[in-house]
Amino acid sequence: MMVLLLAWVYGPALFTAVLSFLEWNLTGAPGGFVGFDNYARLFREPEFGQAAGQTFLYAAALLPFSTVIPMFLAIMLWQRPGRASTVYRSLLFLPVMVAPVAVAVSWRFVLNPLQGLANEVIGAFGIAPMNWLGNPASALIVIVLVTSAKVTAFNMLLYSAALSTLDRRTLEAAKLERASAWETTRFVVIPQLHTTTVLLGLLSIVLAGQWVFTNVSVLTQGGPDGVTDNVYYRIYTLGFEFFETGMASAAAAVVLLFFAIASLGWLLVRRINARR
Amino acid sequence: MRAADTTLATRPRRGLGGIAWHLVLAGVSLAMIFPVLWGILTSFKPANEIYSLSPLPAAPTLDNYAHALTEWPVGLLVGNTFVMAAGVAIGQLLIAILGAFALAYFTPRARPLVLTLLTISLAMPPQALIIPQFLMTAKLDWLNTDLGLIVPQLGSSALAVLLLLQHVDGMPVSLLNAARLDGAKPWESLWHIVLPALRPAIAAVTILVFITTWNDYLWPLLVAPRQIDTTVQIGLRQFETAEGTNFGGLLAAATLTSLPILAVYLVASRRITDAFLQSGIK
Repeated sequence: MMVLLLAWVYGPALFTAVLSFLEWNLTGAPGGFVGFDNYARLFREPEFGQAAGQTFLYAAALLPFSTVIPMFLAIMLWQRPGRASTVYRSLLFLPVMVAPVAVAVSWRFVLNPLQGLANEVIGAFGIAPMNWLGNPASALIVIVLVTSAKVTAFNMLLYSAALSTLDRRTLEAAKLERASAWETTRFVVIPQLHTTTVLLGLLSIVLAGQWVFTNVSVLTQGGPDGVTDNVYYRIYTLGFEFFETGMASAAAAVVLLFFAIASLGWLLVRRINARR
Repeated sequence: MRAADTTLATRPRRGLGGIAWHLVLAGVSLAMIFPVLWGILTSFKPANEIYSLSPLPAAPTLDNYAHALTEWPVGLLVGNTFVMAAGVAIGQLLIAILGAFALAYFTPRARPLVLTLLTISLAMPPQALIIPQFLMTAKLDWLNTDLGLIVPQLGSSALAVLLLLQHVDGMPVSLLNAARLDGAKPWESLWHIVLPALRPAIAAVTILVFITTWNDYLWPLLVAPRQIDTTVQIGLRQFETAEGTNFGGLLAAATLTSLPILAVYLVASRRITDAFLQSGIK
């Protein structure tokens, strides 16, 4: 177990760091040591800066889909248990099961700029057809919405699990006080879901850029003009489309470093909180 | 579900009115699965109807399926995907069972270190490791092979190990100690005591890993780009040609290859959601 972990995870992590100092374009033999040259080139190219910015934008845009929306769906299902809510729960979880590529190609068909359903529908309201995936304004929204289904579906499940462990005494008290459904939800249920919300929110912020990868790859390839790009997709583009092994490794090393710092910070915060 | 935890009586009566409740949930459900539903319906439409707005085909046809089955190496691709998903699931399971048992039974001094390394590996973004992983796979001459699809993915067994370890650690200590006093060898304890107790957890991990690997996109895209050696997810790209995309065939193929997972989900949805739940709680 440890051998595999070291060989395929920690080995590559170090290997990434080494590669980032070499000049290499994947096809030939590894070139010589170039110091921080790859990093300098990476930070000079506007695309990487943009990709980093878009990564944060994705994090912000997906946040409601990973917290508020699944929370309310889960609470609704929980309020009226029964056959209907079981059926809805299974339906709502479907996006996690369907292959992301199948979802993405279906969307591409619906959004097809020539005769796609989306344009026919807005056409019925007298709106001119749009190039959904080719227009910077709509492309990012499409990627976020397509990805959101899966995130919402999964987090709804986690909220449902959290709801099943609520402290029942507080609910009974609320009932005795004749609290309305909304009051109970607002002042009794939601506060008890706080831990789940914080955790899912943090995970979403950190992982949003990774979640959109397949959709970006199938739907927009980072375009138009890089609005749907992000650092993870940029690593792929640099490494496997431009064969810029050195620069791609530098980008990967930056991402790994960012994660290392974030994890350390997280551990530190937890330790400080534990000491209180 | 789980009515035992919060009985019906303790739940707030009537949130939204009945109709509004159904409208919201049905609306959200529909919105989430709509494109896929539309894709499935479209896959039964003949070429001249493919952009029609009517959800149901006027003249339903299986032409798109015939096309996907004859012009597309569906057997090979499904076979590759199955071998990859099963290989990764079984491999990770073996690693996880042995690893979790060793960590719990022998409690080696390095246990905290191992746990830390496993946890950190979970946090590493997979995309940040693809370049060296790809180079290593290429160096081993594993490109476009089942080995290349499977072995590198066994490195990411951390989740499986940690999930099983939770369950092994949760077993009563006295049980293993009693076995030890009776002179049971470690592998006897594993086989007769730990494995039977772990059966539900093992099923959950297998389901989880199999489904995520079946749907995996990035790794097969990198190491198995060749048409007949790749997986279904990547193979779908073959419907895009320079002349445009054959949407009928593409949607038929996407439907066909999502079917196995959906069928399993219909039969065992409760079990599967529970499996995913475990991965999320960790």
